[in-house]
Amino acid sequence: MENTQTSQNTETGAAYNFAYLDEQTKRMIRRALLKAVAIPGYQVPFAGREMPMPYGWGTGGVQVTAAVIGPDDTLKVIDQGADDTTNAVSIRQFFAKTAGVATTEKTAEASIIQTRHRIPEKPLRDDQILVYQVPIPEPLRFLEPRETETRKMHALEEYGLMHVKLYEDISRHGHIATTYAYPVMVDGRYVMDPSPTPKFDNPKMNMMPALQLFGAGREKRIYALPPFTRVESLDFEDHPFSVQSWDDECGMCSATDSYLDEVILDDKGNRMFVCSDTDYCTERQDAGHRGPQHHDQPLGGKAAE
Amino acid sequence: MTAPHTTSGIAPDLLPGFEHDAFQSNAVFRTVLDAMSRPGNIYNLPISIAAPDGLNETATAFALAMIDMDTPVWLSPACISGAAITHLKFHCGCPIVDDAAKADFAFARLDDDLSFLSRLAVGNAEYPDQSATVVFMVDAISDHPDMILTGPGIKETHMLSVAGLPAAFHTWRRENTTLFPCGVDVIFASPHQIAALPRTTRIEVK
Amino acid sequence: MYVAVKGGERAINNAHRLLAEKRRGNTETPEIETDQIEQQLSLSVARVMSEGSLFDRDLAALAIKQARGDLIEAIFLIRAYRTTLPRFAFSKPIETGKMDIERRISATFKDLPGGQILGPTFDYTHRLLDFTLMANGQTPPEAAQGDQPVDDTMPRVLDDLLNYEGLIQDEPASADNDDAPVADLTREPVSFPAGRDLRLQNLARGDEGFILSMGYSTQRGYANSHAFVGEIRYGKVAVEIEPEELGFAIDIGDIDITECETVNKFKGSKIKPPQFTRGYGLVFGQSERKAISMALVDRAMRAREMGEQIMGPAQDEEFIMEHSDNVQATGFVEHIKLPHYVDFQGELELVRRMRKEIEARAQSTPETKAAE
Repeated sequence: MENTQTSQNTETGAAYNFAYLDEQTKRMIRRALLKAVAIPGYQVPFAGREMPMPYGWGTGGVQVTAAVIGPDDTLKVIDQGADDTTNAVSIRQFFAKTAGVATTEKTAEASIIQTRHRIPEKPLRDDQILVYQVPIPEPLRFLEPRETETRKMHALEEYGLMHVKLYEDISRHGHIATTYAYPVMVDGRYVMDPSPTPKFDNPKMNMMPALQLFGAGREKRIYALPPFTRVESLDFEDHPFSVQSWDDECGMCSATDSYLDEVILDDKGNRMFVCSDTDYCTERQDAGHRGPQHHDQPLGGKAAE
Repeated sequence: MTAPHTTSGIAPDLLPGFEHDAFQSNAVFRTVLDAMSRPGNIYNLPISIAAPDGLNETATAFALAMIDMDTPVWLSPACISGAAITHLKFHCGCPIVDDAAKADFAFARLDDDLSFLSRLAVGNAEYPDQSATVVFMVDAISDHPDMILTGPGIKETHMLSVAGLPAAFHTWRRENTTLFPCGVDVIFASPHQIAALPRTTRIEVK
Repeated sequence: MYVAVKGGERAINNAHRLLAEKRRGNTETPEIETDQIEQQLSLSVARVMSEGSLFDRDLAALAIKQARGDLIEAIFLIRAYRTTLPRFAFSKPIETGKMDIERRISATFKDLPGGQILGPTFDYTHRLLDFTLMANGQTPPEAAQGDQPVDDTMPRVLDDLLNYEGLIQDEPASADNDDAPVADLTREPVSFPAGRDLRLQNLARGDEGFILSMGYSTQRGYANSHAFVGEIRYGKVAVEIEPEELGFAIDIGDIDITECETVNKFKGSKIKPPQFTRGYGLVFGQSERKAISMALVDRAMRAREMGEQIMGPAQDEEFIMEHSDNVQATGFVEHIKLPHYVDFQGELELVRRMRKEIEARAQSTPETKAAE
């Protein structure tokens, strides 16, 4: 093949190909991505490669991003919603080094966003691609560990077991006890694992204008949600799906509509809440919003109210 | 498992492939990804490339971006040529198969005998991805409302018109829809534009 | 006032510098050289090559040094490097019958053509710490040379001796068809049921400890395939490729390997006379523990082919193949130390809400509480 392996990354002068993967591997992943888009929610097997970072740390997302990213893209990487978590920093550096692409922490400026565990709060546009890192792509895995069996269940649309499990939760706890990786039904056909995002983010997947791509490196599966695809969280008539809510606001930007992380302040039970989406929080603070624990506020601002 | 393709005996009149493989492959792939993600939307081919006899520019760019030694290709009577075979073998290293049923990618024109379509692999219930993609080289694509499309990737409706699309295509495509999640995905490649109809798209013919 | 934690990038860079310093250790001690590792820790090198799926002693030694002696980390380094290498050719099957033998033993026959060659082995060492090694001891005396070289012909016990009488199963589509395609799990996604080629590749790359334990489990009743070591041989074999343009094979170098073939419990049927069955193990370098374990698990995983009842995990190919890879396993096991704040917050929220609801219910029905 004269056209594989030989192209050099001219931006970095490194011996690796643009975006690390060789062209043949990228083609294989790209073909899998097209199938994934054509069969929304279906897990396409692909010959995942060994990446220079550990399995379970985003190798699937990294391979998808490497196959999709071009020299004109602007990449944002988040972990737990934050751009500055160590693994997000590490993955962003990897692409800055191997692909020489522009990176950003601003959701609105990114053309590709690779994420672990969150969907940004700011609605995504149709010219953006969201790439999820997926640890266990099979939503039925904890009901049935065997791939040979779960594949049959998907083929036959045999999702009764999943409903039984969710209903058992309700009878035992009064609630569906799944708070993240909450299963969804895609376009009325495939039950899909949304990756371990909190169920708070599930409604954002429905009819999202951006293309959503999912990569599971260790399990060697790729799946996708085309833009404007129906994504419904599984539920029951008498127990409709609902998302998390907090009594508190974000201590920094006072947001009440975003997913909050809890920060332990001392060993006396004092805690505060902050947006898990750091860009969303920063943007609100820049626009003048202030939460009770913001440094422009006196300490314990809320209590003083 | 296939031995690496060797390039001995290069034909002197062989046309060049991508100038910069990594960047141009990526640009073409992103266009195809957009087209598959938004069925019926029409995208311009982002690069220019020499096409051998039998293939047009868009189909050639698609082949160079997506096809390699792991993906057998079938060429219809209307697009098979010595030049096309040489070009694909050299630049993609792909096997060219006589039987459409064995192909991952099929290239055809609308004036071909379309009976080959029902021979293409559609995958199976457990592996619906083990299916073929057909690339139709066409004269022109437009958003004239000859077909009204709905389904994943489409907010409300998309309109699509393909010059010279015969009734036999629609008959086959209706059949294809009933096989879901199995089925064949379709790409329309005019000389400089591309639009796709993945298996999920529902078509209302006007 | 709260200031969010920042500076992930600087923390990472500093952590890497500290790691490099720790790797080096006390600088008054001379730095270990990779050729010392390659020569004197050759069994570590062999393991890294086998499970890294790359025969390169120097790179394996480098990986061991860089990984501070953590062999799984070294295997990971080798795998990540290997995956970027272009494929120039596929070799012809190696011929272990033509091995340049250093060690060859059979547990099934007291004597056999070619003889029992003990070679370098820990087997009969008394496991007493040798303090002269710590005292930077003397160069050991040179090993004695035999009076005569080992036989040129060293027939393989299973194929050449047992098969002579038809006492052992034929391997379907083995040596007869060199050109048959061989699966490669580094290039194609695995699906089940998996062929034996794929299973053997998975076992060869599999974690030595895992394969050892699974092999051990077959001996303790979690499978039913009592095994004899028909033969273990260790030595050098030539690797040949046949470039398309040449049309004949050329020798591209030697590799040292350990091969183990087990003779297992016979089976037969009304139409077929009883026959022994077999298991196969092959690894780079000298590792009899891994080669024997691999052969045991290979045989156990042939349960489907042999029509045997599945009684233990070693017979379950999906279980074995999905869990044998230590690079996959260590990544996923260790990934739970990555941040999971968001998911944990979801759990906290739910548990608090459920507790609140229970409290509320308890308060709204005081009579029942009092009656309890």
